[in-house]
Amino acid sequence: MKTAIEFQRVTKAYGSKVVLDGFHWAVEKGAFVTIIGSSGCGKTTALKMVNGLISPDAGDVLVNGESVKSHDLIGLRRNIGYAIQGSVLFPHMTVEQNIAYVPNLLNKRDKARTKAAVEKWMGIVGLDAELKPRYPDELSGGQQQRVGIARALAASPEILLMDEPFGAVDEITRGQLQIELRRIYEQTQITVLFVTHDIAEALNLGTMVLVMDEGKIQQYAPPSELLQAPATPFVKRLVERERQIR
Amino acid sequence: MLQTMWTLFTGRTGFFLGLLGEHLKISLIAIAIAILLGGAVGILISEFQRSAKPTLSVINFLYTIPSISMLGFLIPFSGIGNATAVIALTVYALLPMVRNTHTGIANVDPAILEAAEGMGSTRLQILWKVKLPLAMPVIMSGIRSMATMTIALAGIASFIGAGGLGVAIYRGITTNNAAMTMVGSLLIALLALLVDALLGFVEKRMRRRSAGAKRAKRALAVLAVLVCAGIVVTAILPGRHKDTIHIATKPMTEQYILGEMLDILIEQDTDLNVELTQGVGGGTSNIQPAMESGEFDLYPEYTGTGWNMVLKEDGLYTEDLFDKMQQAYNDTLDMRWVGMYGFNNTFGLVVRREIAEQYGLETCSDLAAVAGQLTFGAEYDFFEREDGYDALCAAYGLGFKKTVDLDIGLKYQAIDQGKIDAMVIFTTDGQLSVADVKVLEDDKGFYPSYLCGNVVRNGVLEQYPALESILQSLTGSITDEDMACMNYAVEGEGQEPRAVAEGFLRRINRLK
Repeated sequence: MKTAIEFQRVTKAYGSKVVLDGFHWAVEKGAFVTIIGSSGCGKTTALKMVNGLISPDAGDVLVNGESVKSHDLIGLRRNIGYAIQGSVLFPHMTVEQNIAYVPNLLNKRDKARTKAAVEKWMGIVGLDAELKPRYPDELSGGQQQRVGIARALAASPEILLMDEPFGAVDEITRGQLQIELRRIYEQTQITVLFVTHDIAEALNLGTMVLVMDEGKIQQYAPPSELLQAPATPFVKRLVERERQIR
Repeated sequence: MLQTMWTLFTGRTGFFLGLLGEHLKISLIAIAIAILLGGAVGILISEFQRSAKPTLSVINFLYTIPSISMLGFLIPFSGIGNATAVIALTVYALLPMVRNTHTGIANVDPAILEAAEGMGSTRLQILWKVKLPLAMPVIMSGIRSMATMTIALAGIASFIGAGGLGVAIYRGITTNNAAMTMVGSLLIALLALLVDALLGFVEKRMRRRSAGAKRAKRALAVLAVLVCAGIVVTAILPGRHKDTIHIATKPMTEQYILGEMLDILIEQDTDLNVELTQGVGGGTSNIQPAMESGEFDLYPEYTGTGWNMVLKEDGLYTEDLFDKMQQAYNDTLDMRWVGMYGFNNTFGLVVRREIAEQYGLETCSDLAAVAGQLTFGAEYDFFEREDGYDALCAAYGLGFKKTVDLDIGLKYQAIDQGKIDAMVIFTTDGQLSVADVKVLEDDKGFYPSYLCGNVVRNGVLEQYPALESILQSLTGSITDEDMACMNYAVEGEGQEPRAVAEGFLRRINRLK
């Protein structure tokens, strides 16, 4: 199987606090990886290294076999969908303008194509077309997240990075969004990195789960394996409750 | 008062509207430049945060310079007139503009910026598509307060010979016409309120975001850009007309009148166009440099002032020195005195007429014998000045019974009521023409002579020979009494300087 993203002994520290310590890890193309760990374990840092928002102190990050360092960052980022926690839609743009943001950066002239992409992705994430002229503050929390997903996917990227995208919505909406996201993943088969601190979400969504603690990998395995054979006491503690429920 | 103001305004609507237009032009140019320049600086210091603090400190410092000193600093570089006014106004307008642009951009949520960066926007795209639109409300409120401030501040521009409603205020003050000052101030206030309301409307429109509002917004933006461009173009294009004589006058009533006379005569007798810059603040010290740089072609000056202030000669000026002064002007400044009007605006000693008659007083020397029985009055600084009270007493051997400090505006009243018997005046004071006093002859030549004449650049005289004969035709045409009467007509009777000038020219048969 082809490798989409590869971390090669990556180290990153903020002052004296080491958040990634010899982080060595590869993601297969087409995997839906959920990343879970205690806060400050370096999961967000690892995610932002993929699109070059953060660069490693030592080691290297490869995307499609090429080092992020040698990539044209702007081009790389336009090919990677990015959705982050909470509502970070552009408040001065309509739903349509938000979703069309990256397509517009890519092809300014081809308005028909951008329009078609916006409509397609609104349909896929389950947004009514009449919401197009609305502004973010005129949407519900769930609708805002859907726009966020549509915006991240509108330019049909090969990789989608998501950092706790459903952190700010209620339980019911979150469940719906998870189902939608999983459906979209199955339709498009793109590579997804999904950071969360909710173990149930991590186990339900991912084809693979990465458990991290203090900058190190605890276990990287499919959800079923994680439940049946936790590799470390940390993982065991983490999945304890889920095991009892299931 | 309101009645007088209304009559003045309706009677001279054209004059006030002209000033209003000029005021608007000066302010809008400064506002337009400040928006572009201040906006650019604000954006730059937001993009390069390290430069923000030093830049803001410098601009803050500029902002604290009092406006009058700012104009003073600028005159040597940009001369007298609209350019200096626009520069000074722009400097003041920069601070609110830079600060609000910077604050607006700095307050954009960093999470939004990271999202934009993570999605692959270039730095410029982040700026245009995200930072500026989100900072716009703060920038807009900066523009609004800056615009109102600039319009109000433009009132001081007339101090350095620029146009605008400040001309009305300043002229009202110098010629004792309170209604004129009030109308000028009121119009500035109205203009500021109007512009504020207009920008408030624009601000409100910008917050609307329906499709229709968006179209209107775009139309509004295009309109605003066109207006700004139009203003800048009209400001740059019609530079200086070729055949225009630029005349300056000092902020004194009699100079306003003389300026109008020159305007009337030159436009009547030649095809030349006259541009009159009345009441240049600071008088000689600002007009003379502008003469040397060619901004002005001629102005009425006084011989004693020319000798002491322009040629910087020490010692008392007497008319024996005139030829020497004329030579020096010609050789060092390439200017000449042409058309000495005849009147002498110098200091003079007066006594109430009944006292002059009682003692048969004609000269200052005559006063020595009776001074011991008289009360002397003058404004307080006369008692402090080196060439003031003590010097005068020493020169003529005077010893008054009593001295009184008086406000300059009240001294004619005081002598009329008998509170004082003798006082110092200017020989062309408007009130002198109606006061019941006798001017004593300065028989020992204590005071310098201040004969009035026109200082003209030689270059202009060669280019337009007709000018010389027009100026010469006024030689010796105005006596001290004539000038005092005309000053009184303006200051005391509230007539317009131009009307007074016309009346005088008609009387001496110079008006066609």
